[in-house]
Amino acid sequence: MTVLTMPARPGHDTAPPPVPWRRMVWVTWRQHRATMISVPAVLGALALFLLFAGLKVHHDYAALTACHPQGSVACEALNRTFNGTDWSMGNVLNILMQLLPVLLGMFAGAPLLARDLEAGTFRYAWTQGVGRVRLTIAKFAILAVVITVLAWAFSQLFTWFFEPFLPQENLNVLSATVFDTRGIVFAAWTLAAFCIGAFLGMLLRRVIPAMAVTLGVYLVLALGIWPLRKHYPVAVVTDNPGSIPFTSGPSTPNSPWFLSSWTSGGKYWTKYIPVSRFWPMQFIEAGWLLALSLLLLVGTVWLVRRRAA
Amino acid sequence: MNVIETSGLGKRYGKAWALHDCTLTVPEGCLAALVGPNGSGKSTLMNMAVGLTLPTEGTATVLDGQVIGTPVALDDIAFMAQDAPVYKNMSVADMLHLTRNLNRRFDGPFARARLTDLGIPLKKKSGKLSGGQQAQVALTLALARRPRLLILDEPLSALDPLARQDFMATVMTTMADEGTSVLLSSHALADLERVADYLIVLGGGQLRIAGEVEDLLATHRVLTGPAAQADRYASQLSVVQVKRAAAQAHLLVRTSGTDDPVLPGWEAHPVSLEELTLAYLRAPQAEADPKPANTNHSEPTEAAR
Amino acid sequence: MTIDKGSSPIEFRLDPSSGVPTYLQLVQQVEHALRLGYLEPGDQLPKVRDVVANLTINPNTVLKAYKELETKGLASGRPGQGTFVTATLNQVTLPELSGLRRSMLGWLGSADEAGLDEDGMVALFTSVLRDFFKRREGAAHASAKDSEAEGVA
Repeated sequence: MTVLTMPARPGHDTAPPPVPWRRMVWVTWRQHRATMISVPAVLGALALFLLFAGLKVHHDYAALTACHPQGSVACEALNRTFNGTDWSMGNVLNILMQLLPVLLGMFAGAPLLARDLEAGTFRYAWTQGVGRVRLTIAKFAILAVVITVLAWAFSQLFTWFFEPFLPQENLNVLSATVFDTRGIVFAAWTLAAFCIGAFLGMLLRRVIPAMAVTLGVYLVLALGIWPLRKHYPVAVVTDNPGSIPFTSGPSTPNSPWFLSSWTSGGKYWTKYIPVSRFWPMQFIEAGWLLALSLLLLVGTVWLVRRRAA
Repeated sequence: MNVIETSGLGKRYGKAWALHDCTLTVPEGCLAALVGPNGSGKSTLMNMAVGLTLPTEGTATVLDGQVIGTPVALDDIAFMAQDAPVYKNMSVADMLHLTRNLNRRFDGPFARARLTDLGIPLKKKSGKLSGGQQAQVALTLALARRPRLLILDEPLSALDPLARQDFMATVMTTMADEGTSVLLSSHALADLERVADYLIVLGGGQLRIAGEVEDLLATHRVLTGPAAQADRYASQLSVVQVKRAAAQAHLLVRTSGTDDPVLPGWEAHPVSLEELTLAYLRAPQAEADPKPANTNHSEPTEAAR
Repeated sequence: MTIDKGSSPIEFRLDPSSGVPTYLQLVQQVEHALRLGYLEPGDQLPKVRDVVANLTINPNTVLKAYKELETKGLASGRPGQGTFVTATLNQVTLPELSGLRRSMLGWLGSADEAGLDEDGMVALFTSVLRDFFKRREGAAHASAKDSEAEGVA
């Protein structure tokens, strides 16, 4: 039988190699360009501000501590400057720092998947050769890493900025609003907020509701941890008050965190967390936040597999 | 090889079955037309074929037994959803780049040449293009992936007649050049006979009939004769649709394909694809594709809607 | 969008309202072209791709038409090149045509006297035409079976 003409399909049976991961970086960049530009831009602007503000704060603090005699008019003026003007700004910035993770989570995490779902473009993205699981993991991971690293860097800058306020405002590194803006915990909270946002975005499929619920969930978590931190297994119990690294008078950055005290067996027991336990506590908190983040990543991928359309 | 094979496939949302007990096999190299009213399960079936939805019951495989939704299967299947979703804020060139990065196989020069031929500026944002242009962009992106199976969900609905013509001409020439198989859902029944060689009719989430167009046209005909004899005659035959007036009746019947003799006083006429499709769309719980493995003698159970 | 006409002398067109299946229309147009001399042996039939692009029809339909022409011995495909006309149809000569015309006019006159109108004449002619070719096919079938039986025996 004669064969009627039909041109052969070019090279179809040679399976091309799988889509390389570096292409996913471009895809993530292009699809979330707004986020990937605005987050560093905003943080950069804030960082610049913190830099100048921090230089002033450090300068004022140095002037204050060097001032002799303590009670004189000149020194009082410096005191007012530092503990008045500077501290107002420092306080506001500290509050902002508390909110920064959830803001990043809302604006970077929630739209990650929700925007595609809301706009219907997931019908394009999820039917491409790379497959939706790989695409989701790539976008999630790339953005999470970028945001976490930026958050960590920013928190280091803030730590430097805030340092002079600790001795002056009766705070130490274990204080609730101080602990979570330094070390690795700030970055961990940012990562967790991002993951919460992304997960809720996939669950709720709409950007605005996802953002709102992310805010709610994060606040519950963040406020909820404050009373619970003291239960981290780092406390010291002693019946020897003399061994407590404790100074009388206005607390210094080295004052421990007193949890409770009681009498038993004729002795006076004290339970406290010394400042030296700062890093173990940081690791514990970052640890469970990281576990939560991974859980949310797995949950998001599971949802992507199952509940697609 | 079959590009799509389903067995008892179904999808339920809450209490309602969007698609129920669908068994069909679509051979390769065909253009399979998926026809049915809105809400009959067309999009659901297509979504399942590309892995956007997971079945509630039954199984489905694509491209000769591949699991649906995996990168291996998706590699060779290009999907164009309804309303041709493209990223509105991305330029056409960016969409090309994006598609290239999301797939192993992408013919960039072909895509660019085609878009230039169509007069679509590459630098323009996709959202600013007309409906027809967006559809052509989406189709170009799909074709540039050199798929073996092209799945198009109502691609013509937003297009004017000229754009429809261009679009279908492109699809047909791709079939001719590449041997691509196509699954296309459409409301344009009048054009079906020209373009489709496999027909799938869905109604109320059920498969009404499916088969090669040649077979269907050969095994169906209209018998015209006296209305008085209609019922008696109909009881002996597999009737799809009865149209009757006072004196005359038309029976659309299904035969086994051979030229059965017609009762005296009755005339047999061939059936057009459009007529056949409409009859099956209207027929309640009609029988599906008569392949031996497939006994779909559905009782009048109502698909909960 | 300009369509490349290719190197075939003819171009197809479709009549969607004729009720004739698409592939048959293509076959008939080729046969018609052969009869009228538009096509000669050695000429190339339109490329499948071009037909598909012009008419927006399924390529399998075109392939089916070309296969039918092959079966009838009128065309044959050369891999990689196209489908080419291989034979010609009996061309009815001019005097034969005039003779047929005259006898037809006679028949039409009788039909008119019997009271048939134009549509009636067309209907009668079409049904007899169908019967004629069916019988001819049946006869060919039967003779083929006979020769088969003889061959076996």
